[in-house]
Amino acid sequence: MGDATVAVSDSTWTDEVENHKGFALADFWAEWCGPCRMIAPTLDELAREYGAALKVVKVDVQENTEIAGKFGISSIPCLILFKDGQEIDRVVGVKNKSQFKAWIDGKMAG
Amino acid sequence: MGKPSEKSLERVERMVTNFCEKSGTFRHPDPKITEGVVLGLAANLDELGRPLCPCRFYPDKKEEVKHRTWICPCDDMNVYKYCHCLLFCTPEGLPVTEHLPADHEGRGTWGEVKDPTPEKGRALKHKAEEREAERIARKS
Repeated sequence: MGDATVAVSDSTWTDEVENHKGFALADFWAEWCGPCRMIAPTLDELAREYGAALKVVKVDVQENTEIAGKFGISSIPCLILFKDGQEIDRVVGVKNKSQFKAWIDGKMAG
Repeated sequence: MGKPSEKSLERVERMVTNFCEKSGTFRHPDPKITEGVVLGLAANLDELGRPLCPCRFYPDKKEEVKHRTWICPCDDMNVYKYCHCLLFCTPEGLPVTEHLPADHEGRGTWGEVKDPTPEKGRALKHKAEEREAERIARKS
């Protein structure tokens, strides 16, 4: 996992995401998922580029079944965008960096 | 998840090689993508006795293996020739999407990717209606 992203667990989810003021992007992933591996470097770059404007967290669905179940995750990677702890949109699967940026910027602009 | 057994790894490797040939698909050009998925399948084979797809979340894995849907090669592969995991790809490393229903998430993610070997694979294409009904009724 890159330095710019934060690993979140069932027990830290509330503090890290639900109580976070502003935007957060949660990547639901698993170690042995090919597409999850493909997008990992892109998410790390996005976390660095957005800095404080977007908190990027990663949830390993193998280890954190409670949160994955709560959000109805099926296919992974699944990326959910939150504003002030509330889900505003989600995307499933691989996209390139510019596609992710267009999606994030569009949603952040409201 | 711990490292899978050599026996399961060999079994999954063999399955991947044989199924690529049978379905007219190819391994991903980045071997790390394939390696990760093979490890996940082998770990699930050890844990559950079946190579359950590692690119999905299941609220209850033991319940899930009672269904055929996500046992590799999965129903999406056998009906639509689509592998979300990127285990069975085109030579360029893309999943075939041309046979998917228009509203399938694979179409949204990848657009239309043509099947380079339409004469091969899709052994269960006659079950497309059944698969579509299940895809809508049972997300996982």
